[in-house]
Amino acid sequence: MAATHALPSAAPVQRPRVLVVGTAFISAATIMTFVGLIGIYLTQRAAIIGAGDTWLPKGVSIPLQQPNTMLFTLLMSVVTMQWAVHSIANNDRLNTYLALSMTLVFGFATVVMTWYLYTLMGLDISSSSQAVLIYTITGLHLLLLVVAMLFIALMAFRAFAGSFDARQHDGITAAALFWYALVAIYVLIWITIYVTK
Amino acid sequence: MVRLGLCRPECIRSNEVPTVMSITDARPQSATDAASASTAPAAGSGSLLGSGDHRAIGLVYVVLSLLFGAAAFVAFLLGQLHLVQTSFLSNSASDALLNASELGFVLLVAVPLFIGLATCIIPLQVGSATIAFPRAAAMALWTWVLSSGLFIIANSIDGGIGGGRDRAVDLGLLAIVGLILALLLATTCVVTTVIALRTPGMSLDRVPMFSWSMFVAGSVWMLTLPVLVANVVLIYVDHHYGRPSEFGVSSVQGLQIGWAISQPQIYAYVIPVFGIAADIIATLSGRRQPNRGAMLVAIGAFGALSVGAYAQPYFFPEVRDQIVWAAMGVLIILPVLAILGGWGALLKGGKPTLRSPLPLALVSVVLVLLAVLAGALGALTPLQLRETPYVAVGQLALIIAAAVTSGTAGVIHWAARLGGRRAPEPLGLLGVLVLLGGGALAGLPLIVLGFSTKFTGLADASDLLQYLSIAGAALLALGSVLALLALLASFRGEEAPADPWGTGQTLEWMSTSTSGDSAELVTVTSAEPLLDAAAGSQEA
Repeated sequence: MAATHALPSAAPVQRPRVLVVGTAFISAATIMTFVGLIGIYLTQRAAIIGAGDTWLPKGVSIPLQQPNTMLFTLLMSVVTMQWAVHSIANNDRLNTYLALSMTLVFGFATVVMTWYLYTLMGLDISSSSQAVLIYTITGLHLLLLVVAMLFIALMAFRAFAGSFDARQHDGITAAALFWYALVAIYVLIWITIYVTK
Repeated sequence: MVRLGLCRPECIRSNEVPTVMSITDARPQSATDAASASTAPAAGSGSLLGSGDHRAIGLVYVVLSLLFGAAAFVAFLLGQLHLVQTSFLSNSASDALLNASELGFVLLVAVPLFIGLATCIIPLQVGSATIAFPRAAAMALWTWVLSSGLFIIANSIDGGIGGGRDRAVDLGLLAIVGLILALLLATTCVVTTVIALRTPGMSLDRVPMFSWSMFVAGSVWMLTLPVLVANVVLIYVDHHYGRPSEFGVSSVQGLQIGWAISQPQIYAYVIPVFGIAADIIATLSGRRQPNRGAMLVAIGAFGALSVGAYAQPYFFPEVRDQIVWAAMGVLIILPVLAILGGWGALLKGGKPTLRSPLPLALVSVVLVLLAVLAGALGALTPLQLRETPYVAVGQLALIIAAAVTSGTAGVIHWAARLGGRRAPEPLGLLGVLVLLGGGALAGLPLIVLGFSTKFTGLADASDLLQYLSIAGAALLALGSVLALLALLASFRGEEAPADPWGTGQTLEWMSTSTSGDSAELVTVTSAEPLLDAAAGSQEA
């Protein structure tokens, strides 16, 4: 026997920001991946240094100039990304396109710089566990940076197509959230891998 | 006023399995807007592959995870049998079966089973016409299916964790990464649905218990499973590109990811057990859960105490001697007891309807309690239970038995929403006996055997205890098949009414729709909106 129930109808509601919530969870999961990797990195490094050895194998040096440049590039990209969010929130499409384009340029510059750093380090991935850790952490970050750039590019195309305006710009906010998470992860990498060697 | 439970023609039509991409990723302005998008004509029988319908996606998860469950228990059984009869298999084959079954229990059975049920039921429970990100949910499903196939293939050609064939091991590691990423994406869809697509008036403390438990479980999974991805990626990079130098060495691969199938992390996989049981007990008792807030907190506390990504003995050898790990192992008993106390208070006030989901739900919680008690004993260093692997394996068997039992309870309880019909009661009752016997037999003898370091007489009974465990695994395989049969049976026969139990409290019982596509947006004012509505009708 079916039960019959009566509940009041609700007025149409503005849903919460579904894409932003989902991206926040993805960003948290991404951060936890790097927390796990960097935790292992620090433990292994402490064990090797504790045994009286040096962390980086002999003949290997990681210059600081390129990592510093990448850090400032990514920090500038945070500014341009926030500029894009602010612009679309004010229906300023021209500035939105400009800001998103600049963010992509900064991202591309970081990818190129990381690649250049790899050639400078002279670290063979098959030579030691240190090399495996360094390449895994920085390589995974590089991969996710490219994914985030694709996300931003997709949102930029949607903005071109008129999908976003001052009232509804969750796509750009979500892309910005993921980008900020990756920049925060880079700051962690910069300190643990490049600065405190 | 919306008359809920009145069966409109479009509701009846929507009982057919929807096979269309139901909605775009753009947020719905309201459930009714989304409903209009999701009632588009079917695109053809072959369109399941591209379907974004939450019920179709969830059903594939449930069916495959139960099938994988039966296979994993058989693999576990064969591996255990070799330990007793050493000539039964080669040592490497036995190790491969045990490794594959233990990881498969988590990634192919427990987590996807709950995600499948959640994908089907949670949108209905929170009053949403769809799951959040339907296309992402579909992508997660098919990535999981593909990765499951690769995982099975890799393990069958000596490419499991610690396997001997290099290329196959690489394939197996990539399959594990694919499995976890797919499950994380599916979890994101479920948790976002709970957070962002609730009907008006449904604050987080008013969401149904299953939705709440999946929110807690999903949050813990999102914080811990990425760490497992980190471990596996590190193993892969070293194994594929390195000599391997350390992480990819065959003998230590399993040690690095062992934390994911040990306590406290294994408890994270059964957090939804409490939500499913709570919804079943409340529905069949026909009463409001007293101290509901305390129950929510207890489930949350259980989730917090099950975060185990930090406890990696391979990298931190002393972690299991630290007070934090031991305290978590002991304290986790408290939320379980609090939840049991809450149900005691609920059942004390009235006689519940004795249908098979109720004993199944209680059996699943008892199995979790046994696992937690065994874990607490294992956390106490003087007992030396960690010197043998028996307690850990017994705990894992109990946990997976609890997950399968809980999944079976959920399948039978929500059969009217999954298949449109009631599940046959005799199958459910048989399932109670099989899963209770199987769970207890698979896990408890191994835990008893863990005491063999203290009581030497137990070592003499080792073979008997392991045979009992093997019999338990066989029963659990049978139980998985029974759950599958119950699900398939719910697609045949007379159509179930909107609220087949007659005492439904939450929104999934307000309509005969199995896909949520006829749901009208309603305002709720308590955690039991249908009881409010029934009380309002009586007063009128």
